Amino acid sequence: MKNSEKINIKRRNFLGKGALLGGISMVGMFLGGTASAKAQTALLKKKRGTKPYELNNPENIIYSSCLNCNTGCGIKVKIEDGVLSKIDGNPYNPFTMVPHIDYKNSIEDAAKIDGGLCPKGQAGVQIAYDPYRIRQVLKRDGKRGENKWKSVPFNQAITEITEGGNLFAHVPGEENRYVEGLRSIMAMKDNDLATAMSADVDGIYNEKDKTKKKELVEAFKTKYAADLDKLIDPNHPDLGPKNNQFVISWGRLKGGRKDFFQRLGDAYGTTNLHGHTTVCQGSLYFTCKAISEQYIGAKFTEGQKFYWQADIENAKYILFVGANLLEANYGPTNRSVRLMNNLESGKTKIGVVDPRFSKLASKAATWLPIKPGEDSALALAIMQWMIENNRYDSKFLKCANKAAAKESGELSWTNASLLVEITEKGPGKLVRATSLGIKDAEKRIVDDPKDKNKEISYTEDFFVAMVNGKPTWVDPNDEDEAVFGDLFVDTTIKDKDGKDVRVKSGMQLLKESANEQTFADWCTLAGVPQDAVVEVATELTSYGKNAAVDLHRGPAQHTNGFYNVLNWMAVNMLLGNFDWAGGMSAGATYKYDGGNDGVFDAKKQSGKLKTFGISSIRHDKDYDKTTIFEGYPAKRNWYPLASDTYQEIIPSIGDAYPYPVKALFMYMGAPTYALPAGHTNIDILADVNKLPLFFTSDILVGTSSMYSDYIFPDLSYLERWEFQGSHPNNIYKVENVRQPAISPIPEIVKVYGEEMPISLESLFMGINEKLGLKAFGKDALGSGLHINKPEDFYLRAVANIATSENGGVPMASRAEQEIFSKARRHLNKSVFDEERWKSIVGKENWAQVVYVLNRGGRYQEHSKALNGKQLSNKYGKLLNLYQEKTASKKHAGTGKNYYGYPKYVPVAQFDGKPVDKLADGYEFTLITCRTVTQTKSRTNGAYWLTAIEPENGIVISNQDAVRLGLQTGDMVKVVSSTNKEGVYDLKHGNKKEMIGKVIATEGIRPGVISFTLGFGNWASGTADMLINGEVVAGDERRGKGIMANAAMWIDPSIGSNNTCLIDDVGGSVSFYDTKVNLVKV
Amino acid sequence: MENNKKEESLLNKKISRKDFFKSAAVAGASALVASEVFAKSRFLPEIEIPIGESTIKEIAEFKSVKVESNSDILIRMQAELKKALAKPMEQRKWKMIIDTRKCVGCHACTVSCIAENKLPKGVIYRPVTTVEMGTYPDLKMRFLPQPCMQCETPSCVPVCPVNATGIRPDGIVHIDYEVCIGCGNCVEACPYEHRSMDTGENYCDETPSVQPYELLPTMEYGKDWTREGKYSATEGSARKCSFCLHRLDVGQLPQCVTTCIGRATYFGDINDPTSFISEMATKPNQMKLLEEKGTNPTVTYII
Repeated sequence: MKNSEKINIKRRNFLGKGALLGGISMVGMFLGGTASAKAQTALLKKKRGTKPYELNNPENIIYSSCLNCNTGCGIKVKIEDGVLSKIDGNPYNPFTMVPHIDYKNSIEDAAKIDGGLCPKGQAGVQIAYDPYRIRQVLKRDGKRGENKWKSVPFNQAITEITEGGNLFAHVPGEENRYVEGLRSIMAMKDNDLATAMSADVDGIYNEKDKTKKKELVEAFKTKYAADLDKLIDPNHPDLGPKNNQFVISWGRLKGGRKDFFQRLGDAYGTTNLHGHTTVCQGSLYFTCKAISEQYIGAKFTEGQKFYWQADIENAKYILFVGANLLEANYGPTNRSVRLMNNLESGKTKIGVVDPRFSKLASKAATWLPIKPGEDSALALAIMQWMIENNRYDSKFLKCANKAAAKESGELSWTNASLLVEITEKGPGKLVRATSLGIKDAEKRIVDDPKDKNKEISYTEDFFVAMVNGKPTWVDPNDEDEAVFGDLFVDTTIKDKDGKDVRVKSGMQLLKESANEQTFADWCTLAGVPQDAVVEVATELTSYGKNAAVDLHRGPAQHTNGFYNVLNWMAVNMLLGNFDWAGGMSAGATYKYDGGNDGVFDAKKQSGKLKTFGISSIRHDKDYDKTTIFEGYPAKRNWYPLASDTYQEIIPSIGDAYPYPVKALFMYMGAPTYALPAGHTNIDILADVNKLPLFFTSDILVGTSSMYSDYIFPDLSYLERWEFQGSHPNNIYKVENVRQPAISPIPEIVKVYGEEMPISLESLFMGINEKLGLKAFGKDALGSGLHINKPEDFYLRAVANIATSENGGVPMASRAEQEIFSKARRHLNKSVFDEERWKSIVGKENWAQVVYVLNRGGRYQEHSKALNGKQLSNKYGKLLNLYQEKTASKKHAGTGKNYYGYPKYVPVAQFDGKPVDKLADGYEFTLITCRTVTQTKSRTNGAYWLTAIEPENGIVISNQDAVRLGLQTGDMVKVVSSTNKEGVYDLKHGNKKEMIGKVIATEGIRPGVISFTLGFGNWASGTADMLINGEVVAGDERRGKGIMANAAMWIDPSIGSNNTCLIDDVGGSVSFYDTKVNLVKV
Repeated sequence: MENNKKEESLLNKKISRKDFFKSAAVAGASALVASEVFAKSRFLPEIEIPIGESTIKEIAEFKSVKVESNSDILIRMQAELKKALAKPMEQRKWKMIIDTRKCVGCHACTVSCIAENKLPKGVIYRPVTTVEMGTYPDLKMRFLPQPCMQCETPSCVPVCPVNATGIRPDGIVHIDYEVCIGCGNCVEACPYEHRSMDTGENYCDETPSVQPYELLPTMEYGKDWTREGKYSATEGSARKCSFCLHRLDVGQLPQCVTTCIGRATYFGDINDPTSFISEMATKPNQMKLLEEKGTNPTVTYII
């Protein structure tokens, strides 16, 4: 009875729902109605039988790359009757097997072998086949954020965006609002003029004298009198052309698509292409960028925006700091398998630093439940202990140049022994040998690292290290004459004029930082027991170079993130583990852009427009050199050392600082949801006066795209191209290729006369075509090399991967080529046309291209990752323990220079003041974490995942819960001093309170509360929408649980109260510094 | 061929599931009452599972992949299936050991299983539970994946009124969805709560449209259990883990084994003393779930 009753009820529900949704147009809007109709009919006709199991047949398999998190594991997409049936790990790919099968193994074998894959990867099926996916362009049919839409033809949307007009006259209040289109915003069109202006603007920027700076501005105005209308503000030419008022931003963006952005930006002439890095672990990237700056042409340049991670496969001890790799951080699939194998065999032991007892902590020998924000205290305690007990790699640290590194068998080297000049302001520049008179300056010429066809002439002044107490000149790049410097130097020496110069070595500065407090006091500050710290330090220093500190968001997402990361990376430098098996790995990829020996130059672009001017997020510029310098604190922060500061993109538009923005495009972004205090972004996005035109590319109507004027549907990662690259924890050289595995869900449109699905690419190509730009279309990649379809670019890039480095990959046999064709028999001709594909890459490259696509990328053999005890894919360069460049930059909030070395820096506001006032009256430190079942904002529609973990909650220690009279299951609201109501104002009377279930546990540090990201979504299929006049009901399963980012502090000293706390140096947003209270509801 | 014959013989001897529902609806009788009637009368024969030569499966050798001492255990375990399948079914005995030291509680197995077996909403074969023990800061956490225990003396089999479920000679406790009447006795009887009822729901029922992946057939037991309209051929049946028998039959490991990101699930033929599973079975600290229930589970744990 129970059972049959259930079925009947379900049938009734279905009919009821069918009547409610009704209209054909609605069904057409979404996937189910049309795209899958054929597949559905095919299935219905079939009778139950004994169909053979064919998911292990290579003809039913396409290899690609996952994107349900940014790890991008290699996946095996299994197709059944044209429908995506199952996703597994690609056995060729080192992310999913240890060791991965040899690249040369047959695709028949590989078809039968499934590699591992985490639950999000498995659930990719439900990201592609999401009933809330949009198929047509949606135009706002109400106020921003009202969630009223109408579908419009693709070409109409492109025309409206480029040409502007009274686009929203149908919306009450906007009857007379004229929207400026992209064509008009692009005031500068002449590359020669832009190039000339750019050079003169550089001259203004580099002029130090204020009066002369003003004179240069006046001269500029006179010189370009006829063209001043092309500038944002003729009185401030350094703001650049009006073209900069079109800002292009993105959330998750990988290789290939990144090139589409760069191409459009370069053709349009806007300097404003901004990513999202700082909402992830920005300060980890930018500290490592500062560490990796190279001394070229007498300056520090070419720092890489990247970071090192531990080689888990070979390490004997790893201290994981704020890293949750069994659930997140480039990890679940590829790092878990390596770690668990090694833990079980006893090869590896680990320690975990995390206020939460994470799954990883449960596998650790030692768990240090640190106080959030006190990473530096712990790292400095460990370094103090290492130095005191002589447990650091002095041989490595003494290497002052490449020659010394070579002699010592090292691949990389530090500047720990170089002398730093100490002035009354503190440590500043590195001492130059010429100033001491111990070496003459030399005229030198080097290759320009930014342009291989150019050279740089410069004067080399040389650095200085103390060698056995004697000042000795050093060229850090010298490969011939080894210099081993004294590590601890604190003295006064004479310059060439006989004047005293106070000097210390970088290593000495580190030691002094470590000794600022006693070991006991550091441990108290970090909130961890001394004996446990000694235990960790002892273990860490017991395995030579086979030990590492692996860190992630935990230390990075604080206002002191830069220094937290620097202190921990300094521990790795003391271990001397860079480029060693089991130490710090930099990772490596096969290049798709044709850089070295590829067959196509994918970077080539005709018709570029020189970009110049200060970016809308003020990165890569010194505030005090600009013409808008107005003393300290600046209105908002400047980022001379960081970029892609996500928290700046929209709030800067709100403050019109440094200038107003006329149009914003956002791709795969969810800043309103993902950012701390992201609710402030909603106020700005919803305001058509602050942001006149806002259009987005999204696969759903998302938490931020719901505020846009137009949403262009995009392809999911299972329908599109991209180059996922690799991650530093992967010691194998890798390039993961994402390729269409199923037919496109969005509507097919025509651009450049060619059929293609609506996607990010077709949107950019459409804009380019309409504006008559040259980023795409005829001869876009050079004479005869057109980009008339997205794959015209991607296939040539695949050809580069396939053919480069030692002749490239083997050629696919004829049999393999046949399988390649058959495996794509279900693909729509708009995305797969074999003859066209062949002609794009050229017949001579085809067999190699097929070989790569048949394996989902290119992967180095397992046995080639190590060269003896060292990593084959090395970093192999200078590491800046002391950072002259960092020390030369000023904090825009205080006007003080940044510290250029490892040091304890407390959590603070932008203006340098402590956070006490914000914290007053609030008791819990709010932190966040990830669960393995959810990515931050794009997996809430995967029902298999929400079935397992339907919601999150507020995790609180039992003792705190008891004190507050709370127990698991109680509902609480999260409030802070900058969000006393504990609410997201979604606009139009729609408010979302930050209320969640209490989860009381022993597994968190008392005084700290946490919630997992990915829940509490208010869009992406959660909210009801009105589309073409019909209601699409949201699904509550997609929005359960709590998102409490809006409780995170707004920094009262930044702009107009619209931005979270930030790491002013490394650019990160502060995720883990806010104090909150819990209110029982 | 084999299957057709079986189907025919069963049809002659019993009321099919659909007929049962029809008659139940007409008579207004409840499934529960009817099932009790069947259970009492107990005239149905055991389902015949073919054994012997016809159950030998020839699995092709890998063309180029080599099984080496440092190979991923997935490769070794998969290669060993070939050897097991070369024997008649009654000579192989499938066993699973879950190494809780290596389990990371990620639920990849849970989801992979749903995807592979096209499980409808409400049916999960392999949940993973998390247990936290201790007092801050001295804590322990353990994860326990729980597939069907494939018991040697299962509680679920004897309670079936229509003999739709039984133990195969290779140790797998199976269900014949064509025979199952959906009475739910077995669901109640399983002390591990590892059987559930398939009510034919789809994950996307209450959304703009049911999605194509939900309409694909499940391939369990080597048949394609298609959808009839919106409804699945398995609807109204009890469902449980079958060790991915349909994959074993083609020489592939169960999905929960291959997808495991901690390599915490071991699988193979325990009758083969040289197999990896036999090696793992000798490891210390082996445990069975609810041993006191006397079900003799084939699935065991290393703790």
